[in-house]
Amino acid sequence: MLRITSISGNIHDGGVCDGDSEHLCISRGDLEKSRLRRETDGGTDIGLSLDPGTVLRDGDVLAGGKKPIIVRQTAEMVISVRLDDPEMRVVAGHVIGNHHRPVAVEKGVIYFPVQADSELEVFEKLFAGIGATLSIEEMVFTPHRRARAHEH
Amino acid sequence: MARIPRIGIGGPVGSGKSMLIERVVPLLAARGYSVSIISNDVISKEDADRMRENLATRKGLLPENLVIGLATGGCPHTAVREDPSMNISVIEELEERHPELDLVIIESGGDNITTTFSPRLADYFIYIIDVAGGDKYPRKGGLGIESCDLLVINKTDLAPLVGASLETMRDDAQRIRGERPFVFVNCMTDEGVGAVAGRIIHDVLFDSEEA
Repeated sequence: MLRITSISGNIHDGGVCDGDSEHLCISRGDLEKSRLRRETDGGTDIGLSLDPGTVLRDGDVLAGGKKPIIVRQTAEMVISVRLDDPEMRVVAGHVIGNHHRPVAVEKGVIYFPVQADSELEVFEKLFAGIGATLSIEEMVFTPHRRARAHEH
Repeated sequence: MARIPRIGIGGPVGSGKSMLIERVVPLLAARGYSVSIISNDVISKEDADRMRENLATRKGLLPENLVIGLATGGCPHTAVREDPSMNISVIEELEERHPELDLVIIESGGDNITTTFSPRLADYFIYIIDVAGGDKYPRKGGLGIESCDLLVINKTDLAPLVGASLETMRDDAQRIRGERPFVFVNCMTDEGVGAVAGRIIHDVLFDSEEA
């Protein structure tokens, strides 16, 4: 097992490129773990033992092996909310927050994670009458730093 | 002060959280690991008292003062997720006074299927359900069942008595968990308990499963 104790950079920050490397594909939840044992896509057995509280990001580079290991966050199921009326967008935010979901906003579209596509029906009822269009999508979800509510 | 690896165990009331700990700790102790147990409950400390009696007083597998009962009040998940400060302060004290420890096991009070542990509190999350709850349990999903690091399905011996199909549970667990592991156990006979200990040793203690 290759023990990794620090992050040496991030490909999104420049300086390192995703060239000849291996990938550690993990879920958003696992990004928050400072202790984790997994295999890379190249079959390298790694044990992460990072400083407590360290949160990994997609693109983080883990050094110490034969090749750099790039952290890749896996896609997950989300509901996207398309809604133009600014007042109703506040109401949408209230509904989502009240259901303890983190939120991301990209190009005016609101996203929040769900566990099953059956949740679409639930949220369509909750959003009824505010003119929102909801759909299920798959995406690499990164919550807004002010909207990282625990979810349940 | 080094952080001692921590695992959290959650699951519904009566699913076998304390019993699993009682069965796994002797296997970890036999491999030479020093373990401390923190047992959360709403108002009672009965589970902690039982584990202390069985594991520490009778078997001498760990000192009595390393089985700690925490009556957290309120909804059990709040003490392991929303505000884990009470548990964290107990663990930090353990880390200061007992640097020889290899592992801290934190048991949540019995809770619903959306239980999870804050990653600030636990490095690894075991969710336990039991066959007697019905074979629909794995496919119904829920955050705990879907997102835990290891799903444990306990009380396999009760399947014929409650009309539950272990095959259905296995198929559903595989489908809903994908590559993430699950294991059937019977804490009354220790069936499958070795596999749980093996996972802890490999995934959390970064050691090899075989002694």
